[in-house]
Amino acid sequence: MSLAELIRARRSIRKYNSTPVDQELVVELLRKAKRLQPFVEAGSWRVVYAGTSEARKRLVDCMLEQLSQSRLGKLIPGKLLDIFKKRFTDIPAHVIVMSTIGPDRLTNDRNYAAACGMMQSFQLMGWEHGLGMLWDSESMMLHEGFFKGIGLRENERFVGILHIGYYEKAPKSRKRTPAEQKWAVLREQSI
Amino acid sequence: MKLSDLEGDIDGPSEFLNRPVSQDLILELLNHAVWAPNDELREPWRFIFADNKNGDIMQGLQEQAPAYLLVLVKEEADQHKREEDFAAACCLIQNFRLLAHEQSLGVRCTLHEWMYDPSRTEMFGVLSNERIAAVLELGYGANQSKGKTEFPETDLHFELL
Repeated sequence: MSLAELIRARRSIRKYNSTPVDQELVVELLRKAKRLQPFVEAGSWRVVYAGTSEARKRLVDCMLEQLSQSRLGKLIPGKLLDIFKKRFTDIPAHVIVMSTIGPDRLTNDRNYAAACGMMQSFQLMGWEHGLGMLWDSESMMLHEGFFKGIGLRENERFVGILHIGYYEKAPKSRKRTPAEQKWAVLREQSI
Repeated sequence: MKLSDLEGDIDGPSEFLNRPVSQDLILELLNHAVWAPNDELREPWRFIFADNKNGDIMQGLQEQAPAYLLVLVKEEADQHKREEDFAAACCLIQNFRLLAHEQSLGVRCTLHEWMYDPSRTEMFGVLSNERIAAVLELGYGANQSKGKTEFPETDLHFELL
């Protein structure tokens, strides 16, 4: 598969099978993804991994804490909430990414952008290995209890969670707008 | 070659040759790169291509390069969406960097202080509801690295929950 084919074939995967994900593979791909980033200050981002059933359960608890305590959550029957919880807890692995907050906006943005670029390379390399992922930054889970649960430090910013697992079937593609329709050319005399 | 087998850095060269960059190539690569993940398929990006024939189009703001690509991202009112959209643009840029590397086209991805200053960005056609996600300096290097350069190995910060 060529690089262009790989980029076009990758999908966000929401349904995983029960095949376990090897932590060593995740670390190896993260290392490779990191090397593909342009040089940024060391320590501009950090990864926390939840792969054991115990860690996954803790993560899902803090992800859903806000929901289950909200007014909406209280309307959801306990059984339904449990099913919801199980769906998340069954996901084999999660990579949580946080970037470092710098002294100014520029450093913040650079660190955040570096983390995002790394995550995209990681998703693509994962796809080459049959791994499906979903980049989750659902606003419902972004609250204090969640940040505390994942160990976010004061000088850090949450970037996203990648839910990871092997999958049976990739969803169909949704058409993209051609770049030509989002394209302008700057002429030197126009400045 | 598999992406997972790509070794070494894919950074653009420190100096570019005086060789033009084809718009068609950039569009071709972008049409692959737009397959980046983005929330609700908002496709929040837009592109401004600047050919630098006379060598002074971004003087004082950017390093010399045969061409520049401004990657813009729409600024939503909602802060959370704004963050997601910036992240999506970063994924698109990463796709583009990888694809360009394959074509031996050098890309230096830059983010500078002037990009936050509307009085400067509007000169290049950036709208008031947009921001610059990055300016890509494009060109061909004299010795395009194909993964042979040495790079300092830094630690991966990896912890278990």
